[in-house]
Amino acid sequence: MKKALPYILLAPMMFIMGVLVFYPVIATFSYSLKRWKLTMPGDIKFIGLDNYVSVFKSSSFWYSLENTIVILLVVVLLTSVIGMLLSLFLNIETKVSGLMLAIAVLPWALPPYVNGVLWKFIFHPGYGFLNKLLLATHVISQPIEWLSSRWLLLLAVSLVVTWRSVPFMSLVCLAGRKALPESLYEAARIDGASKVQIFKQITMPLILPFAGIGVMSTSITAINVFDEIVALSGMNDLGKNIVLESYLTTFSFLDFGKGSAITYLVLLLAAIFGVFYLKTLNREVQY
Amino acid sequence: MKKKYGYWLFMILTLICTIGPFVWAFFISVTPEHGMFSKTTGLIPRQITWENYRELLFSGSRQGRLFFTGIKNSLKAVVVTLSLGMPSAILSAYALARMEFKGRKVIKNLLLFTMVIPVMATIIPIYHIFMDYGLLDNIFWLSVIYVSSLLPSAVWLISNYFATIPKELEEAALVDGCGTMRAFFKIILPTSVPVIISTILILFLNTWSQFQIPLILASSKMTKPIAVITSEFMTKDAVKYGITAAAGICAVVPPILLALFLRKFLVSGMTGGAVKE
Repeated sequence: MKKALPYILLAPMMFIMGVLVFYPVIATFSYSLKRWKLTMPGDIKFIGLDNYVSVFKSSSFWYSLENTIVILLVVVLLTSVIGMLLSLFLNIETKVSGLMLAIAVLPWALPPYVNGVLWKFIFHPGYGFLNKLLLATHVISQPIEWLSSRWLLLLAVSLVVTWRSVPFMSLVCLAGRKALPESLYEAARIDGASKVQIFKQITMPLILPFAGIGVMSTSITAINVFDEIVALSGMNDLGKNIVLESYLTTFSFLDFGKGSAITYLVLLLAAIFGVFYLKTLNREVQY
Repeated sequence: MKKKYGYWLFMILTLICTIGPFVWAFFISVTPEHGMFSKTTGLIPRQITWENYRELLFSGSRQGRLFFTGIKNSLKAVVVTLSLGMPSAILSAYALARMEFKGRKVIKNLLLFTMVIPVMATIIPIYHIFMDYGLLDNIFWLSVIYVSSLLPSAVWLISNYFATIPKELEEAALVDGCGTMRAFFKIILPTSVPVIISTILILFLNTWSQFQIPLILASSKMTKPIAVITSEFMTKDAVKYGITAAAGICAVVPPILLALFLRKFLVSGMTGGAVKE
């Protein structure tokens, strides 16, 4: 009985994860090896890697992969810089620092799709805040179509995803900063180190492992962006990333085989970052 | 003095970037329809109307009914997700944090691995199974899928916390004649109230945010959550952006209030899974 107890406690979780995560992940792979379109239900056949070959030959896939990579790079870069900077400011104790922390965390807590809708009101060419501001200050004389050109749209999507990712990044860095023993700083000050030196020699290198957790988590978020793209530009081709490409292939064109193949490529990409992420989560950071 | 100046500048900038979008959406929701497109209007509305909120919340209009159905569906999903997710997460976390048994490391690593599996990698077979067994458009089964995607981080968060409770507390109870499970309910659970509140809050927020999963599994009006309903306002009532803005504002009020009231629990819940303190 005593030996069985842990397994009994784990059973509900293992059952849910087994049936709804592990089985489907394997099933998706087997789907990806089949010719299987819902439009032709009788015609399911094992075709090996043909779906993958056809994905790699489609320009639509490469287009969406490019978009994924652009979003990934912009989001990770912006989130890291803004998140770390914010964490340094949030670490300063003032009358408002508690309230500021609560407000700064808000974007993380809200539905990403609704975030996208709120931001669409900023970028809308007609009644959007950005054009109104730029027109009012005479920076531009004609409204800019922010959401109708590929690169501007991707920039807008990246900004909204950054907005949602900064809170986690800065909280992780803040926790890292708070974990640093104050004695390190005292010792450095006694030795006559300047503020810049203290930042470069102590704060920066010791916060890096924490920032690493934030960067990995942000990368995984950035690869899996879906809600914000749909909110800002709908289900059209202009701003689609590989997640949207796999969604459209599966549920609009009803090609389950090819859709599963694209999904597996998304999974591989996420797994590359995931492995590093899990390693950092599992490691104890100590001084 | 100079340093203080920089601090306030940065904080004001942060404040503008964080709450700016809400303020702007609010302005749009209270501006009369014809007002927003005119080039001459400034950045602050000159005329205020509550018409959009009245139509959405108190008039029984088509949009109003749709909106309340969405809120109700999301709340139902929250209740199911919490009542299935919390007990299984707490029990698993206890076993993983406090017991020695064969396969503990393997289970822990598998659980961590599922944290990085994208929704799309599991949803296609799930859609297929749900179609075969007639489970599509069903809030209970939809919520079970939420549970499967939220369990790993919930277990991880709670078990990290359990690991920090001194073993001596439990041992004292065992010496007093309590069984393992009684010691768990009498000692571990009461000391873990903060992390349990954090986890409930995070599960609530995540369930409230769901969009991609219900888009695939819940296509009927009776099951759609609030985010999907908002998306219909966007596409079907694109011209009536005022009411869309009002719906967007109303949809974020519950999570904003919760996040502000429970801010300490939110902050410790967000970092508790990633950083051991």
